[in-house]
Amino acid sequence: MSAAVVNVDEPEKMEPTLQSILDQRSLRWIFVGGKGGVGKTTTSCSLAIQLAKVRRSVLLLSTDPAHNLSDAFSQKFGKEARLVEGFDNLYAMEIDPNGSMQDLLAGQTGDGDAGMGGVGVMQDLAYAIPGIDEAMSFAEVLKQVNSLSYETIVFDTAPTGHTLRFLQFPTVLEKALAKVSQLSGQYGSLLNGILGGSGTLPNGQTLSDVMEKLDSLRVTISEVNAQFKDERLTTFVCVCIPEFLSLYETERMIQELANYGIDTHCIVVNQLLFPKPGSDCEQCTARRRMQKKYLDQIEELYDEEFNVVKMPLLVEEVRGKERLEKFSEMLIKPFVPPE
Amino acid sequence: MSLLLVIFLLELVVQLVNTIGAKTINNLLWRFYLSIPGSPLAKDFAEQRAKQKEYLQVRHDLNATSSQDEFAKWARLQRKHDKLMDELEKKKSQLDAHRTSFSRKLTIYRWILTRGMQWFLCFWFSSQPMFWLPYGWFPYWVEWLVSFPNAPMGSVSIVVWQSACSGVLALVIEAVMAVVRYTGGTGMQKQRQPVPAAGGAPGTSKKDL
Repeated sequence: MSAAVVNVDEPEKMEPTLQSILDQRSLRWIFVGGKGGVGKTTTSCSLAIQLAKVRRSVLLLSTDPAHNLSDAFSQKFGKEARLVEGFDNLYAMEIDPNGSMQDLLAGQTGDGDAGMGGVGVMQDLAYAIPGIDEAMSFAEVLKQVNSLSYETIVFDTAPTGHTLRFLQFPTVLEKALAKVSQLSGQYGSLLNGILGGSGTLPNGQTLSDVMEKLDSLRVTISEVNAQFKDERLTTFVCVCIPEFLSLYETERMIQELANYGIDTHCIVVNQLLFPKPGSDCEQCTARRRMQKKYLDQIEELYDEEFNVVKMPLLVEEVRGKERLEKFSEMLIKPFVPPE
Repeated sequence: MSLLLVIFLLELVVQLVNTIGAKTINNLLWRFYLSIPGSPLAKDFAEQRAKQKEYLQVRHDLNATSSQDEFAKWARLQRKHDKLMDELEKKKSQLDAHRTSFSRKLTIYRWILTRGMQWFLCFWFSSQPMFWLPYGWFPYWVEWLVSFPNAPMGSVSIVVWQSACSGVLALVIEAVMAVVRYTGGTGMQKQRQPVPAAGGAPGTSKKDL
């Protein structure tokens, strides 16, 4: 029976590289996510470097509050896209979801009353609906990025929970906003009647103004949502290390991504140990055994539907252009352990 | 069939429903409805049962599998578990919706056949004598009372007959229940449980009718 199974499985086994992502020219959004400390940033930088070789322009975007892009490239990045030194078509930017919310709020009143009476209804709203602030800022960033003409955008996302929440926001917010718009349609005139003839709210905004803003936000979000759920445009690269918790999180993430309808077909297994054959390092061999156990499980579970890429743990930190480039080669050409 | 008998049987049904409890009857009929081989819900229900069984099996397997040693197997089981759970929940809410509408319909029919029927008969045959009292046996005020509201003088009206039936039946049923409770109480432990519930039912279920 096992022979038959092997025969059936063999042709289905997917390439152990990320070549499929490079080849898929229609891809516009690539998310890189996983538990904290598994090498998301290294992987996303490497992937971006490889993509830059075959695409017109690539933007590397970090939504992780603990920004690591600057670290990885040893170059300071900010809220605006900046060219990465040594490349002519690879850009990077770091956004702080919470910070950009403040900017958004400050920007939309504009009359200089921000210091006095707060920043108005949008702010009240932002703190009234849980998660809406992040969703709004996320939508705002996506709007900006969408209007820029990058061919591919690589997201270096925050650790797992965060990422999934981000991806979930469009759906949640769309529902909430649809309800709000509907309510305002029904009771808007009534509210305006209460608020007085001019329909102004205490801080000088009109209700219809706020509603309009919310509605345009909703439209943006649903557009983005539709793009994320399109497997031709979006894919998610899961990064993990061969340890139980990381594996557990990865499985959970894959299931949730499936629930949201977001395509994922790549897993990068990082930090694999390959001790030299004659090595007498007790810890290394013990750890190698443990990694092997989980690696076998990963292969058994994911090999048929995922590109499982195995990356070795290097003896040096992967920082700076040269090292990243060298590391990134291994995403495309499978690493061969020393025999 | 004579009207006398019809009224008696109707009262008997009402009293039995009160004693057994409307909810119990609804549940029994729902079970019966589900087990009719041809009914559309019977298939759903059978599927639900099979799913439940499978779910329990998967859960058992899941608990028996170590997530650390056999992650692949564990993850596959977990996926299956989540999928089954989803399906079960969906199915359950479907069945519950059916059940609610089924109970509602049943309650309406039951009400029409019992309380509605009682009122209708009382109204329709209000001036018809059920049977005649022997002439001169009872004083005038008794004759007036038993012919209330508008049966001919000297006869027993439908309303009075109805209340007499229900009174007697209530007494009989209570006596029977007392006997059942007594024998149940001295009998096996197992039988003891349902009896107080059944005994307590008439009081609570009266409102359901």
